[in-house]
Amino acid sequence: TLQEDQQKPTFDFKSYMVQRANSVNKALDAAVSLKEPAKIHESMRYSLLAGGKRVRPVLCLAACDLVGGSESMAMPAACAVEMIHTMSLMHDDLPCMDNDDLRRGKPTNHIIFGEDVAVLAGDALLAFAFEHIAVSTLNVSPLRIVRAVGELAKAIGAEGLVAGQVVDICSEGLSEVGLEQLEFIHVHKTAKLLEGAVVLGAILGGGTNEEVEKLRKYARSIGLLFQVVDDILDVTKSSQELGKTAGKDLVADKVTYPKLMGIEKSREFAEKLLNEAKDLLAGFDQEKAAPLIALANYIAHRQN
Amino acid sequence: MSPIQCSLSVPTQSKTPQFDLKTYWTTLTQEINQKLDQAVPIEYPDKIYEAMRYSVLAKGAKRAPPVMCVAACELFGGNRLAAFPTACALEMVHAASLIHDDLPCMDDDPSRRGQPSNHKIYGVDMAILAGDALFPLGFRHIVSHTPSDLVPEPQLLCVIAEIARAVGSTGMAAGQFLDLEGGPNSVEFVQEKKFGEMGECSAVCGGLLAGATDDEIQRLRRYGRAVGVLYQVVDDILEAKMMKSKVDEEKKEKKGKSYVAVYGVEKAIEVAEELRAKAKKELDGFEKYGDSVVPLYSFVDYAADRGFSFGESS
Repeated sequence: TLQEDQQKPTFDFKSYMVQRANSVNKALDAAVSLKEPAKIHESMRYSLLAGGKRVRPVLCLAACDLVGGSESMAMPAACAVEMIHTMSLMHDDLPCMDNDDLRRGKPTNHIIFGEDVAVLAGDALLAFAFEHIAVSTLNVSPLRIVRAVGELAKAIGAEGLVAGQVVDICSEGLSEVGLEQLEFIHVHKTAKLLEGAVVLGAILGGGTNEEVEKLRKYARSIGLLFQVVDDILDVTKSSQELGKTAGKDLVADKVTYPKLMGIEKSREFAEKLLNEAKDLLAGFDQEKAAPLIALANYIAHRQN
Repeated sequence: MSPIQCSLSVPTQSKTPQFDLKTYWTTLTQEINQKLDQAVPIEYPDKIYEAMRYSVLAKGAKRAPPVMCVAACELFGGNRLAAFPTACALEMVHAASLIHDDLPCMDDDPSRRGQPSNHKIYGVDMAILAGDALFPLGFRHIVSHTPSDLVPEPQLLCVIAEIARAVGSTGMAAGQFLDLEGGPNSVEFVQEKKFGEMGECSAVCGGLLAGATDDEIQRLRRYGRAVGVLYQVVDDILEAKMMKSKVDEEKKEKKGKSYVAVYGVEKAIEVAEELRAKAKKELDGFEKYGDSVVPLYSFVDYAADRGFSFGESS
C-alpha cells in the first residue's frame, strides 16, 4: 500500500548511479592522464571517458560496500575493470573483428586514431588496469590485492572474456549453434567481467570467502541477464535508441536468444535470472544490498 | 675490452672463462620451455590456446628475458623457484607484444624467427585475441604459481606493476607507436622503449623477487636497459652485414628505426661498444656478491658477440 511504501526507506537508484558514476569518471580521468606519447593516451582516454553507464565499476564499488569496505579500497579495481571493458570493445570494434564504426553514439577508436593506435592503446589499457590495482589500492592487505589481480586475470583471459569472443567468432554463420554454446559465449563474453567486478569489490572490501562466493553467483546471474536483455534490445530497438548499430547481430548471422527461443521465452528467461540474482542477496543486510538489487532490476529492465 | 667483431663465430669472452654461459642458458631454457608448455595447455576453445602456444613455444626463442630474470634473482641469493613463474610471464607478455607488432595494421611482418607470423596461421582476429589473452595469463601465472613462502605479497605486487609498466603506454607500446609514426623521434628513444624495456623489466623483476634494495633495483634497471638495446643494435648490425651480401635493400626499408638505418654500421658498432661498457660498469657495483654476478656479465658479452648459437638440439 501507499502508506507502507512511504514508511519503507526508499532507495533512489538514479541518484545513486549518477553519484557513483561521477566518482568513477573522476577517478578514471585522474588515473589515465595525458602523458607522452600524447596520441596513445588520447586514444586511451577517448574510449575510456566516452561516458558509458559504468555498470561494472559501480557493481565493484557496491559489492565492496556490501561487505563493509569503503570506496577507496575498491576504486582502483573498479577503474581497472572499466579499462578492461573499454579495451575489449576497442579491439572488438576493429575491422578484422566486428568492424564497427559506431560505439556509444561516437565513431569507434580506430576510426579516429587508426587501427595501429587502437590496438596499442587497448593493450596499454589492459596492462595499466593491472598496474593500477597493484599500485593504487589503499588500505587493503597485499594478500587480498594479489588475490584480486588473479581473479581479474582469470576473468578476462582465454578462460574468460577472450574465450567468449573466440567461440562467438567461430559460431558466426554456423547453422547449428545450440543454447549451450550461446550460453558459453555470453557467460564468458559478458558475465565473467561482471563477475570479476563484483568479486574484486567483495575481496578488496574484506568479504569472507562465503560472501565472495555468494556474490560471485549473483554476478553470474546478472551477467547472463545482461546479455539476454542486450539480445532482446538488439531486435526491438533502433540504432539511435541504442547508440550503436542495431540489428547487427542478425545481419552478421550471429546466434541470439530471441533467434533460438523467441522474444517471449527470452523475456521469461531474463525474469528467471533476475529472481535468481535477487535470491542470492537475500542473506545480506537488505539496506546495504539495495544498490545491488536495484542494479539487477536496472540490468533487466533497461531500454538501451 | 675487445671490439665487437659482429661475426657469429667469435668465442664468448667472459670475465671468468670457466663460467659456461651456454650450458647455464641451455639448462635454464629447457626448464623454462617445459614450464611454459604446462602453463599454456590446450583447452576449449582450442583455437585460441593453439594460437597462444604457437608464439609462446616457438622454436628458436632464446628466452633471454626469463633467463635474465632468473640470473638477476640468483645474484642476490634468491631461489630460482621464486623466479620461474615471473620468468614465464615475461615470455608470455613478450610474445603478446610481438604478435601484435607483426599485425598487418602495425609492422605487417609475415614472418617471425623464420616462421610465419601468428596472424598468418590463425588469422588477424585470433592473433589479436591471443595477445589479449597472453597478457592476463602472464599476471595470473605469477599470482598462482609463485611460492608464497619465497616471495612476500608486497614484492609480488611490485613485480606485477613493473611488468605492466614495461609493456604499457609509456613503455613498449610507446616505442612501437613512435616507431610506426616515424617523424623526428630520436632513434635512441625508440630503441630504448622497444627493446630496452624488456631487458630492464626482466632484470628488475629478478631483483624484486629476491628482495634487492632500491639502489640495487636502479642499478639493474640501467643494466637491463643497456643489454636490451645492445642486443638489438648488434642484431641490426649483423642483419645489415648479411643483407649487404644479399643486396636485399627492400627489407631494410621496411624495418623501423634502428641505429644502423639512421647512423650507419660504423656508428652503430660504436654505440654497441658504449652500451657494453655501460652495462658492465653497472655490474661492477655488485662486486660484493662475488661470482653470483658472473652470469649477468656473460649476458653482456653474449649480447655483443653472439659467441654461440642455439642449435636445433637446445
